[in-house]
Amino acid sequence: MSEGTVQSLSRIRARAIKGFLRQLLGHGGAQLGLVCLVFFVAVAAMPNILVGPLQTAITATGDFLAPPSGQHLLGTDDVGRDVLNLVAHGARISLTIALLATVISLIVGTIVGITAGYFGGWVDVWLMRLTDFFFVVPSFVLALVITPVVLEVMGRGGEILGFRPSLFVIIVVIGLTSWAFIARVIRSQTLSLKERTFVDRARIAGSSDTSIMVRHILPNLVPQIAANGALVVANAIYIETSLSFLGLGDPLQPSWGTLLSLAQRAGAASVGAWWYLGAPGICVLMVSLAFVLIGNALDDTFNPRRRVIP
Amino acid sequence: MPDNADILRLENLQVSFPMQSGVFDSILGRPKGVVRAVDGINLNVNRGEIVALVGESGSGKTTVGRVITKLVQPTGGRLLFDGEDMTTTHGFSTLRPYRHRVQMIFQDAYQALNPRHTVFDAVAEPLRSLRLVENRAQLTERVSEALSTAGLNPPQEFFARFPHELSGGQRQRVVVAGALVVKPDFIVADEPVSMLDVSIRAQILQALIDLRDKYRLALLFITHDLPLAWLIADRIAVMYLGRVVEIGSADDITLYPRHPYTVALRNSTPQVRRDAGSGGIQALQGEVPSAARVPKGCRFHPRCPLAFDRCRQEEPSAIEVGPQHLSACWLAK
Ligand SMILES: Nc1ncnc2c1ncn2[C@@H]1O[C@H](COP(=O)(O)OP(=O)(O)OP(=O)(O)O)[C@@H](O)[C@H]1O
Ligand SMILES: [Mg+2]
Repeated sequence: MSEGTVQSLSRIRARAIKGFLRQLLGHGGAQLGLVCLVFFVAVAAMPNILVGPLQTAITATGDFLAPPSGQHLLGTDDVGRDVLNLVAHGARISLTIALLATVISLIVGTIVGITAGYFGGWVDVWLMRLTDFFFVVPSFVLALVITPVVLEVMGRGGEILGFRPSLFVIIVVIGLTSWAFIARVIRSQTLSLKERTFVDRARIAGSSDTSIMVRHILPNLVPQIAANGALVVANAIYIETSLSFLGLGDPLQPSWGTLLSLAQRAGAASVGAWWYLGAPGICVLMVSLAFVLIGNALDDTFNPRRRVIP
Repeated sequence: MPDNADILRLENLQVSFPMQSGVFDSILGRPKGVVRAVDGINLNVNRGEIVALVGESGSGKTTVGRVITKLVQPTGGRLLFDGEDMTTTHGFSTLRPYRHRVQMIFQDAYQALNPRHTVFDAVAEPLRSLRLVENRAQLTERVSEALSTAGLNPPQEFFARFPHELSGGQRQRVVVAGALVVKPDFIVADEPVSMLDVSIRAQILQALIDLRDKYRLALLFITHDLPLAWLIADRIAVMYLGRVVEIGSADDITLYPRHPYTVALRNSTPQVRRDAGSGGIQALQGEVPSAARVPKGCRFHPRCPLAFDRCRQEEPSAIEVGPQHLSACWLAK
């Protein structure tokens, strides 16, 4: 392709992206969601700069269960740690877990969904049975099954990709329990896409099945993957919170769920330490709400059917 | 090989699709029905020849095209291309040489182009998949050549466009370019101009005729429009409910049709003269019966004003009524 063509191609792409962003940002829900998300991502990106290193029982500075004050904006916990400090560091753990788990579930779900929808027949039947199994298996049960295996293999002390084994288990468990939803959405879209004439044309052009799936069907699934991906993140945050709340988290890398669990065990509710339960709780709510808003906005933006997606 | 050797030959070709059976049918153990979309057709196309396949909606024209382009596997009969039996060939790598020689032009260009691919990618796809070029420069050259043959000039201006940035006529030209780019010997054109306006229609038809003249390309031109078929084709095959009921030169079929269906079809189109040999047959009445319930005897008899007893009992086979002119009718003798 000539120089000029490449340039005009990138210009067209840029124009499409700009148009898309303008439409997305014109969406009230998306604005709210993005503002909220940017805030939490900033906190998660640099907790050390904002609130200092993660406090432990040894480095704790405050009184036990002190209510919010000028020195401790969100009060302290039962060993005197600053709750703001804990929540900021928790943001990093919670968001990372949710995003990594989402990446896993998007990759697995998309591959399974496209394959099942495109090939149909017994491939579809068996893949969908597998999907249904993962769709209904409770994440808690799966976590209980996987945890000992991972601990056995990796040892209790080590780190996997920077995560302590129990967090790694949580990522894998969330990934494994949320791909089924994506697979179903992608499969049903693929079923209709593969009937489109451009797939026939590709076949007559001599393209292989893999190339049809990757080059023709996948690009047309981007809207579904993006919109549902945002919903999966929201869901992942909930699952992470509940698994950690049930005690599957790691106290050395506390997520919001772990904090909730610690607060519960410290009897924060009964002694009226609302800040200890409330801070991580509200964070969970806000972040998952932000992702739901963004997901819905993406869905709306993509939906007018002939919109160009960069 | 003699010059008029056929490049494509269909022998008693059949395609039936299993019918969706309802819950009741399964419970009662009724046998699954089939839709006989193509019910035994014989057809040959010579090198450099344009054959039109004409018929009402649902007569199985597209299905014939899809068999030839190997999108649908025939359930009976044979498909011979350049003397080679292609009936059961399948698998994309086995079919590569065939894909190189047989291409298709689609009716709805908007549907036939992937909305996420640029014009360049759409036209380059067969060259890449069939590995017909060695480098980028060759690729660009072949794509430009095909685009300008299809009437998109200057081609470079269209490279980076997406289908939604083109007019309907331009889109159809891209589809035509995508078929031409491999320099095929045979093209199935499935109603290639039925969605275009008159001036663009003429240009695209002219482009196809030029290609035939220049490269001795053979065309199977599918249409429901008899005058259009007469305009472009050397021979016309008239299809009814999965069968070819009459075949002959374009002039014979249009001006001296012998099968009552062809006569009725001609009389249903206002442009053509009505006097010659209508034999009291009016325009077509009623609808094509479902291909799932093909009438017994001659399949046209329920709608045929000339039908008599024999037509209800026995199915006529095609008999010669003139040079190169066959008609499947008991009255054709
Ligand atoms: N994939 C399929 N499954 C089941 N039935 C089919 C399938 N494809 C075609 N048919 C049936 O086969 C018959 C012929 O269809 P076909 O599309 O070949 O007709 P056509 O002559 O091209 O009609 P049109 O002029 O409307 O395009 C119809 O009854 C149709 O319902
Ligand atoms: Mg058709």
